[in-house]
Amino acid sequence: MSFYPFLIALLLLSAAGYWFGSKKALGAVRQSTSFLTPRPHQFGLFVAIWALLPPLLLGVFWVVFQVMPLQLDAGTNQQIDRVFFPVLGLLAAAGGLFLAIRRIGPDLKVRKSIEAVVFGILILASIISILTTVGIVFSLLFETIQFFKKVPMSEFFFGLNWSPQTALRADQVGSSGAFGSIPLFTGTLLITFIAMCVAVPLGLLSAIYMTEYASDRFRSVVKPLLEILAGIPTVVYGFFAALTVGVFLRDTGSAIGIDIVSESALAAGFVMGMMIIPFVSSLSDDIIMAVPQSLRDGSYGLGATRSETVRKVILPAALPGIVGAVLLAVSRAIGETMIVVMAAGFAANLTANPLEAVTTVTVQIVGLLVGDQEFDSAKTLAAFALALVLFIVTLCLNVIALVVVRKYREKYD
Amino acid sequence: MQMQAETNLMSDADMAEEIVIETQDVNVFYGDNHALRGVSLDIPKHQVMALIGPSGCGKSTYLRCLNRMNDTVEGCRVVGKILLDGIDIYGPQVDEVLLRARVGMVFQKPNPFPKSIYDNVAYGPRIHGLAANKDELDEIVLSSLEKAGLLKEVQDRLHSSGTGLSGGQQQRLCIARALAVRPEIILMDEPCSALDPIATAKVEELIDELKENYTIIIVTHSMQQAARVSQRTAFFHLGEIVETGPTEQIFTSPIDERTQGYITGRFG
Repeated sequence: MSFYPFLIALLLLSAAGYWFGSKKALGAVRQSTSFLTPRPHQFGLFVAIWALLPPLLLGVFWVVFQVMPLQLDAGTNQQIDRVFFPVLGLLAAAGGLFLAIRRIGPDLKVRKSIEAVVFGILILASIISILTTVGIVFSLLFETIQFFKKVPMSEFFFGLNWSPQTALRADQVGSSGAFGSIPLFTGTLLITFIAMCVAVPLGLLSAIYMTEYASDRFRSVVKPLLEILAGIPTVVYGFFAALTVGVFLRDTGSAIGIDIVSESALAAGFVMGMMIIPFVSSLSDDIIMAVPQSLRDGSYGLGATRSETVRKVILPAALPGIVGAVLLAVSRAIGETMIVVMAAGFAANLTANPLEAVTTVTVQIVGLLVGDQEFDSAKTLAAFALALVLFIVTLCLNVIALVVVRKYREKYD
Repeated sequence: MQMQAETNLMSDADMAEEIVIETQDVNVFYGDNHALRGVSLDIPKHQVMALIGPSGCGKSTYLRCLNRMNDTVEGCRVVGKILLDGIDIYGPQVDEVLLRARVGMVFQKPNPFPKSIYDNVAYGPRIHGLAANKDELDEIVLSSLEKAGLLKEVQDRLHSSGTGLSGGQQQRLCIARALAVRPEIILMDEPCSALDPIATAKVEELIDELKENYTIIIVTHSMQQAARVSQRTAFFHLGEIVETGPTEQIFTSPIDERTQGYITGRFG
């Protein structure tokens, strides 16, 4: 018996359980003197849950069991999986079903049992998502520890030179490998800074326009349009950055006598800023909308103009929230990968000149892991170290942003 | 006919009074909703005029016409003449922003800005450039707080947040804030509906003092309040003015049945 027939049999069994449960409930419970009884379908659900739960628990147990295998050969193991488990599962289901049907009666607290199962499912869902995150962090952490066994921490954190080519064979030349991450982080900062210079003013001003100046009709048309920008896949932005903006900047530069490389930080940062505009504007929009109308009325009632009201009442009131929104946007920009992979290139220059090519942490992680790699080489492990640092940085930014936003929210409640 | 008779009676009694706001046949539309229908009302100077009536009768709408706050509501249209000292405030040469400095407003819910008490009061003078230097600004802020009867309670914490005050203090702060712009007229839209009785008494006392120097128009749901603070009362119903006259007369011998019904609590 393979898996799918087993699954179908299980579902049929639980459906039958539902039907029998409802049926029996109609007979047994309705005859009772008690006036308020659960509905028959709740008894049916109860039976169905009891039919599904035992094989499910058995399945979980089975998986855990296999992680620590008995000392049997593979063939025997597979044999057990193929035959033994489905039979056991169906037996468990039938047993649960039988017990559940027997318990049906006026005294059964069926609603509470179902509620407990729902509660369990919800807890399970949140635990799974939390555990996954924790698992990712730990896998990063362990590989990073491996990395720091091969490369000293001081080199990684303070080295100014990034050239992650280690020798595969002893006779290879010119591949000593340098793992100084500073050029990557300065590159990331430079591009993020440029992106913020584009995204924050444009996003914020458009949010102010949308909330304070635009008519409802205009807003209802334009706001979704702006949010479409957020739906463009980042790889498309990458195209735009690499093939249009980069080339345009280079040509413009050569026309006026400035040397701009086509993979400049400026092009990547500019396009990344474009990508983040809807993010900033939609968050700021929500925050500005949350400023109570009564404050606007108060300001207008004192003879303030719209722009005075925006500058002196609305923005100060919304400022903490806007700071939070900008921090969230920064953490997005730092983590953004596709645009910089396509537009910024791999050259790890330590420079603050936006017209030169720089590289970012995310680009290098991609570069380190693309293609065939030895999993225990310093080169591959460096990707994990970079990822961990990146993760910690964006995590801190997000936490700060959320704290700031929350603090602001409490103010008007 | 009743309206006609009433108007005559009123103008006989108050010939000597100076009229500061004159409204003639004002209609207000919110989109297709005809919210105010042909309202004509004269508001005498340095008195308290109370606007009463059931919810949705148009009294707040009327109030918001007087400083053109309705302009900030999308889809709102005002037809008719509203003369402030003889000048049509909906006329083309009138700047509604400057008008609002002359006609101040206090709102239903106290709405201090999330700034310090000082900055709340200084807000208006700052944007209108009423003070040439810091000392003048201090003087305006302190005298406005004094006029609003709040100075004693807050003088040692002028730089703490205005939102940290109690509800009644916040409302008086909002009144101080309005006074700081030196308006001639103060519109109050149910200023006490969010306050407890003690805070209400303080605000009412304040209104009584302010009428020496300001014309006050107050919308209220409390007929006792209207009777306590106002000299004249206008009763609104379904977007129209049913009856207007001296407060005492409206409350003791109303002419219209509807007024009588509302005042004695038969509807509304």
